Amino acid sequence: MSALLFPLLFLGVFAFALFKKVKLFDAFAGGIKGALPLLVSLFPSLAAVLILSELFTESGLSAFLARLLAPALELVGIPKELAPLLLVKPFSGSGSMALLNGIITQYGADSYLARCACVLYGSSETAFYLSALYFAGRKISPRPVLIALAGNLLAAVTGCLFCRIL
Amino acid sequence: MNGVFAAMFLLSALLFLIFEPEAFLPALAAGGEKAVSLGLSLAAAYCVWLGFFGVMEQSGLTSLLARALRPAARRLFRSEDDKALSAACCSVSANLLSLPGAPTPLGIEACRRFLARGNEFGAHMLFALNAAGVQLISTTALSFRLAAGSASPADIVPPILLSTLLSAALVVLLTFLTSPKRPRSPLAPRPRPRLRTHSRR
Repeated sequence: MSALLFPLLFLGVFAFALFKKVKLFDAFAGGIKGALPLLVSLFPSLAAVLILSELFTESGLSAFLARLLAPALELVGIPKELAPLLLVKPFSGSGSMALLNGIITQYGADSYLARCACVLYGSSETAFYLSALYFAGRKISPRPVLIALAGNLLAAVTGCLFCRIL
Repeated sequence: MNGVFAAMFLLSALLFLIFEPEAFLPALAAGGEKAVSLGLSLAAAYCVWLGFFGVMEQSGLTSLLARALRPAARRLFRSEDDKALSAACCSVSANLLSLPGAPTPLGIEACRRFLARGNEFGAHMLFALNAAGVQLISTTALSFRLAAGSASPADIVPPILLSTLLSAALVVLLTFLTSPKRPRSPLAPRPRPRLRTHSRR
């Protein structure tokens, strides 16, 4: 479905722009003009977060924290096998993707664990990583990040619950 | 952020020091490498979507969209800035539809416009909404299950939808509740003729 969506979206918008007598090339290129400066301004925080996330997983700190947190997570209904995924997801999209794939292949695609992992993955976002991008070069107040993390945690808890009853 | 960074970096470095000191530098370099390659793919996404947004802007679609969504969006983001509002709405809806690549550049664009006008609340709201991962369908999770030979790959969709909506509601609520100062313009009694609201700012 989403394969059709993109051509349709661009066709529709560009046709409308032509109808409005917009100079397509100039408008498109004008929009892109901001792309590289944007990347340049984002890059420092992007790099810092990615280096941090690499250290976090490679040092074994995430595995250690996952073991530490597992009992607390079990208490709210999140299986302990999912703790690493829950911890890595805020930092790294590719890292959590690898973990998700690992869980699916290890426990089977239709197991309760794999379904929970999918729900956990699908209903949360890379909050720390996004905060570095959204507020690059500015003082990041912890409030929105904490709020987003709280939302993700709630989604994880309810997601595991829904997996059990639905 | 600085606290989190310091604590995590030092703890990780300490673990490396104790268990495998020779792996420390390669891990740092691997992170940097990821940043470069991710930066490049981000730049590619920016080119496509900011170009697209440029066309939308020139054709007047963004202001149309903003006008259509204004009643809800101006309250949600407490902003009267048409361009920022439409970028924010595009970003959230792209996230909702899980269009790969589109939400982040548009979200950053909207966030910068909010912040440029001193609207911290709007930026926080947009960030929190997008970082709560409001997604109707997670294409990644679906494709992984499909690849692993699941009997019914789509049975994760209802739980994802329900829990993601719950978390979005929580995030919006918390952002409203914890916002430092009450808004002046959008929620205060406003003059009845709603035309040309953007000229008032």
